[in-house]
Amino acid sequence: MSVLEVRDLTIRFGGLTAVDGLNLSVDEWEIVGLMGPNGAGKTTAFNCITGFYKPTEGHVFYRDRDVTKLPPHRKAALGLGRTFQNVGMVKSETALENLLTAQHTHTGYNAVKGLTGAGTVRQREKDLVAHAEAILDLLGLADIRDRRIGALPYGTLKLLELGCALATDPDVLLLDEPSSGMGPDESHELGDRLLNLRQELGVTMLLIEHHVPLVTAVCDYVYVLNFGKLLAEGDPEAIRNHPEVIAAYLGGEAPDALAETELPHDQEELAEVTHS
Amino acid sequence: MAAETHVLAPVTATRKLDWSRLWPRIAAAVPLALLAVLLPAHSDTFGHVGAYAAIFVMVGLSMNVLTGYTGQISLGHQAFVGLGALTAANVVSTGITPADPFTFGIGIVCAAAASGAAALLLGAVALRIRGLYLALVTLVFGSVFADAIFTLPSLNGQDAGVSAYRPTVFATEYRYYLFALAMVLLCVYVDVWVRRTKLGRGLVALRENELVASAYGVNVLGYKLLGFTVSGAMAGLAGGVFAFWEQEFSDKDFTSVAGFNLAITFVVMVVVGGLANRGGVIGAAIFFALVSPISPVLQALANHTGWGTFYGNNKFYISNVIGATLLLQTVVMNPGGLGQVIRPFARWFRGHKFTLHDPDGDAGAGALEGSSVRA
Amino acid sequence: MHEVVLAGTPFSVQINFLSPLINGIANGAAYGLIGLGLVLLYKSNRIFNFAQGEFATVGAIVTYVFFEGTGFLPRMPGPDWLRYVLSALLGLVAAVGVALLTERLVIRPMFNRAKVVLVVGTVGVALLLIGVEGLLPYPKSQSLPTVSDVLHIQPFITRVDNIPLLYQDVSKLIMLVALAVAAFLFFRYTPTGTAILAVSQDATAARVVGISVERISLISWGIAGLLGGVAGILLAVPPAGSITPGAFTGTTLTVAFSAAVLGGMTSLPGAFVGGLSLGLIEAFAQVDSPFVPGLKNVHNGQAELAVFIVLLVVLLVRPRGLLGQET
Repeated sequence: MSVLEVRDLTIRFGGLTAVDGLNLSVDEWEIVGLMGPNGAGKTTAFNCITGFYKPTEGHVFYRDRDVTKLPPHRKAALGLGRTFQNVGMVKSETALENLLTAQHTHTGYNAVKGLTGAGTVRQREKDLVAHAEAILDLLGLADIRDRRIGALPYGTLKLLELGCALATDPDVLLLDEPSSGMGPDESHELGDRLLNLRQELGVTMLLIEHHVPLVTAVCDYVYVLNFGKLLAEGDPEAIRNHPEVIAAYLGGEAPDALAETELPHDQEELAEVTHS
Repeated sequence: MAAETHVLAPVTATRKLDWSRLWPRIAAAVPLALLAVLLPAHSDTFGHVGAYAAIFVMVGLSMNVLTGYTGQISLGHQAFVGLGALTAANVVSTGITPADPFTFGIGIVCAAAASGAAALLLGAVALRIRGLYLALVTLVFGSVFADAIFTLPSLNGQDAGVSAYRPTVFATEYRYYLFALAMVLLCVYVDVWVRRTKLGRGLVALRENELVASAYGVNVLGYKLLGFTVSGAMAGLAGGVFAFWEQEFSDKDFTSVAGFNLAITFVVMVVVGGLANRGGVIGAAIFFALVSPISPVLQALANHTGWGTFYGNNKFYISNVIGATLLLQTVVMNPGGLGQVIRPFARWFRGHKFTLHDPDGDAGAGALEGSSVRA
Repeated sequence: MHEVVLAGTPFSVQINFLSPLINGIANGAAYGLIGLGLVLLYKSNRIFNFAQGEFATVGAIVTYVFFEGTGFLPRMPGPDWLRYVLSALLGLVAAVGVALLTERLVIRPMFNRAKVVLVVGTVGVALLLIGVEGLLPYPKSQSLPTVSDVLHIQPFITRVDNIPLLYQDVSKLIMLVALAVAAFLFFRYTPTGTAILAVSQDATAARVVGISVERISLISWGIAGLLGGVAGILLAVPPAGSITPGAFTGTTLTVAFSAAVLGGMTSLPGAFVGGLSLGLIEAFAQVDSPFVPGLKNVHNGQAELAVFIVLLVVLLVRPRGLLGQET
């Protein structure tokens, strides 16, 4: 069953058509990639799906329910989690505070009741903290628990942002370039993490990614956008060798160039590379 | 290296009380608490000034919620305080006899409710306006609301002003001070729980980045309104306490020039205190209440040093200079305000080691810097 | 009283037309004069200067002190008009000086901070100026002489329907128009004006092309001080005006801001248009008119209410104002 489906999604800003008739679907427990050169409209599509932009035409369905017009916070409550291209978190707060904020829709009490400081509120807060700490441990970020995140390195922030997206207890995760700012080792770890998340938590994912080895390792299906239109779709291998996709990215260079950039993704090869 | 995986089950954490670290902090807190409770008993003047300081603290906490958490700056807060005062007086409306405790209580509650509603109205009206323009709207709202509503003859008792006499149980200034102190503690309690729960976190998140906040599920519009309402209610409470403190006042205390001065004083208080910093705001509020022209503190000091008449003739302008100098010094050189200064102490009190070095910088400046309040 | 007939309908009303018209324009000129300084600093620094009213007051106070001679300062010899001109010049120097000090000590150190912080800084400056002015020994409830006083002529040009048309009000209007036009031309056609706009849009890029951001900042604030001083000297006259510290800030400034928003915060001619419009709106809002029965009950608050409504409508419907451009 398709968890997330996008039909004929189009958005125009004045004279510019940023996304043109996009059709996309993500089935339960799939990890789907969204690729395309810079400016292709990937983040714009994300913004439409999550409700930050109102599409000019088209529909977004979540588990067969038309959610096109829902505002972002309602979509988040339904289970659509997302990350942002430029790392969207509350930079002046600590990692723990961010993770607590991310659990906003699952606190089990409403804002006004929270003011009373009632016993149930205190108990729920303790649970929220424990959950946040568990996420930090899961991602190996326990040491930044009480650090204000504004000064942390970019790669750490991206990882923490993944944690915050997880904290929203999502059904579907939309990740905007989760490996940006990460070196090859970290990207590889990220790939394993994503696969494990799918395994352990049953989360469905839609990724915007540029890093081809990550896409190949992790995605079951890939859509490629160019100039707002769907250029190609298929499994990662097919996409990797698709001449038009390569042309879109590299401007028509040799198809093998892409293969040369691939990094080893099994333990032995990785050991060789890192010890050389 | 593959990441470890485990099922994320909620675990309830427990922590043992560490008495060796706890008792020094209790020892430090006790004198302060005793001071707060006993000093105003010294004389009627002390009690009177103490209650005035309590009122200022409540207004400070009210603005703290608005400016420190939602990042919206209010240049017209005197309107909410005044509305609270007038509401309480009109609800009680007993003429020259003291109110009975029940009516008094109703008056106080209505004061908070009325101002909460007014703030909600302002919030709703101004939701789509940002940054500096919102500040301007609050300025105009403050003076308009005051001038338009407070001058209604039915509300303000015209030339005679309004009166609100305390119940006899508050016959002494000290007893009324204790009541005011209780109200302050109530506001602090609410402020603590705002900060510690989803409301405060949601407000801080939307202050810094509305998009991210809504991605986390925060209903940005609703929370902004809630922030305005809580802030207004606290200010109204302060107004109610003021009504029975002064017992005889008029709308002129809150309109045109006097009102504008109040508005500015409140802004100065919050900025010097350090935004979003409870301890700093409380300290600054107490300070500004004590140096205000109404309080006899500076007059006494001036009399002692031989500047008595000079101060007496110029006290209004002198308080302006004091406030302005502190404001400018804070804004230009010390953005975290008083809160930043007392930060090492506040951290120690909460259980960390005492150190002058703050590893993370402060959040006070961040309240305005990082907020959506950028023109 | 005049009868106003709604064409084609049986409605006709008696309104006193002329008095609010004249008062509205006179007040509007005041808002426009202060508003010019506000718009200038918004164009150059993208902030609201809450100290503009006090720049005006400083100019007025210094002018008064030199004109009348207070305490240790002897009266200047010579005819009234000469004394007035010289005192006014000194008043302008003082206003400019205060503005430059503000720029140097408060604005410059905070150049890179968020705009709201700078605005709070100007609030502090206003407060400080009020305090310092208050502590100076001069008679605070006095006012400046009007133009007609100085020239020893009767105060009004003529009476229209028994309402005097004052020379002072006409002077305000003429000065407002002259300054608005001059400022507009300055920004459009002079290299310094263009440089100011460049710095306001992107200070770093301006530096790269050789513009001294520090010098430009001083110049903008100097001009703002000058505009404020002119406003103060023309406005601190009876019946309503005086050289009391905080007088302009407490009353005129708020409305001047709203007028600037109405006209367009980025438009100098807009300050003129907005000022006059708002002055007229205020004046007519106070008219006892059977059209809007509710307004009569809002005793004393009609003018401010009208201002508030206008401000909200502008900000919600057309934030750039009547003549402003999209920022």
